[in-house]
Amino acid sequence: MMVTVENLTKRYKKTLAVDELCMGIPEGEIYGFVGANGAGKTTTMRIIAGLLAPTSGKVFVDGIDVTKEPLRVKKHLGYMPDFFGVYDDLKVTEYMGFYGGLQGIYGAECEKLIDSLLELVRLTEKKEAYVDSLSRGMKQRLCLARSLIHDPRFLILDEPASGLDPRARVEMREILKELRTMGKTVLISSHILTELSELCTSIGIIDEGRLVASGSVSQVLEKMSHSESIKIKVLERQDEAVKILLEMPEIGEISSVSGTLEVKVKGGEKLFAKVLKALVERDIPVVSFHPEEGSLESVFMQLTERGKDNDN
Amino acid sequence: MIINPILKKDLKTKLRGWRTMVLICCYILLLAAILFVYFAGNNMLTPRTGGNYSPRMAVDAYNLLIVFQFALLFLVVPAITATSITSERERQTLDLMLVTKTSATRIVLGKIMVSIAHTMLLLIASMPVLGVVFFFGGVNFVDIAKLLLFYVITSFFVASCGVFCSTLFKRNIVSIITTYIFLGLITFGPFIALLISVYVKELRLSGVGFNPTYGTYLKPLFPSSVFGFTSFYYGGSNMYGYGLWGSMCQEIESQMARETGILRLFKPWIVNSIFNIVGSAILILLSAVKLNPVRRKS
Repeated sequence: MMVTVENLTKRYKKTLAVDELCMGIPEGEIYGFVGANGAGKTTTMRIIAGLLAPTSGKVFVDGIDVTKEPLRVKKHLGYMPDFFGVYDDLKVTEYMGFYGGLQGIYGAECEKLIDSLLELVRLTEKKEAYVDSLSRGMKQRLCLARSLIHDPRFLILDEPASGLDPRARVEMREILKELRTMGKTVLISSHILTELSELCTSIGIIDEGRLVASGSVSQVLEKMSHSESIKIKVLERQDEAVKILLEMPEIGEISSVSGTLEVKVKGGEKLFAKVLKALVERDIPVVSFHPEEGSLESVFMQLTERGKDNDN
Repeated sequence: MIINPILKKDLKTKLRGWRTMVLICCYILLLAAILFVYFAGNNMLTPRTGGNYSPRMAVDAYNLLIVFQFALLFLVVPAITATSITSERERQTLDLMLVTKTSATRIVLGKIMVSIAHTMLLLIASMPVLGVVFFFGGVNFVDIAKLLLFYVITSFFVASCGVFCSTLFKRNIVSIITTYIFLGLITFGPFIALLISVYVKELRLSGVGFNPTYGTYLKPLFPSSVFGFTSFYYGGSNMYGYGLWGSMCQEIESQMARETGILRLFKPWIVNSIFNIVGSAILILLSAVKLNPVRRKS
């Protein structure tokens, strides 16, 4: 395991930010960390990065205890926070050189690394530009290059695509894909769940400081696949169709959006067939029948909603 | 040569523009103006046509300049260092430094070195102006070298105080004010107390048995850089300078001469420098502990 988190708890006075959290990230994984604002993602990431002391629990990076040997851990770890953190009065190469120096990399070796990293994040043509003249997307990419200056094996990326326009987001995603091919272990948080499902090999869903689900993307989706929705469009007799559907115990909530019924169901493909059959047998003119595939968004919504229900 | 990256970055960004050059030029012009006004005021600019030229007056002018520099040091260094960590916090770059393999101690030292570099730049730039007094005699290179060393050590202590306060507080303004109050208390507080006691002695208690001793009155002054500074002041037109300040320097000198222990071998500036070095080491250690992320509460 590249990262092992054991019963991690972080309390700020009366607020419990992280609650007995346990997780593991195998080497080479791209681990997506999903959670609403205030769920405890950033706190957890900052503790793993050695920037925050836990109230209790242990965090190991490559087998090294983060709280006991923080400097040893930092040799293997790159951290990109959810803010820029740039010095405006520095040129791009000077900015990179500064962090290279802080990582103990100097001279020709540092210059060579800067060139290759700027190429990776597609900022070579901006190497002599001042940091404050860069666009938001470029600054984000520069921050990513900074976090890679010492060639870390493990990267923590907190909301790397936040606030970026669609083009910049695509560029960032391409770079992250390249990191995956380089064999880096990455812990990445994002609100853009579709991006995570494309990028990540595994995910963890955090809600109110607790990990409510984790595993590979397909495992987590599968776990929740019994709860899906079907979009059904009927030509007429919509009320009758609703009545038929409600007779079935597996059917949950039904809503009508622009003449299309959105039906929550608890079951798999067999149930879909059963629903369609029931409607057709009663001569309901079904125009379209579209079972919605499980998405990370729907899983996230269900899990975090479930947590709230339990609390209540 | 490997330079601390924090110092290197600061020098690169600060010295690149025109502002530093203008600042240094203004500072030198100000020193030269002080010297000119002093000489003109004492009618020393035209000795051949009736001016009252006196080498003693040149030494007084030197005293004036070094007092000005000493005061400037206490104004400039805290302004640089008291915001060194808080501004990193405000800029959200502190975490980016702490997540590197550079230790908190090295970060603190880098910040202190930045302020010392600025102080040294100002001091060295002022050397030609101070050198004017060599034309008149009374001050030699060794005195100035000792003074420079004293200034560097004092800057180190003042900078350590600034950085320490900067690690304690989140806002720049709170950190700056606290640093000035702390330095004011430690540097000028004990000295003002002695000044008052000497004043009381001279005015009211002279000849009625009030006889302050070195042990009771001077030892609490050791932390004060003003105490160390007295080593470089005397030698003016009436040996110890004028008025209350002069008599206080005389008091310190005579009490030091009466000391029988090892302290007798040390001049006030050496005693104070030892205190400043020890004090700086403690403050750097505390700053590093405070800055260490895994010890921080939030």
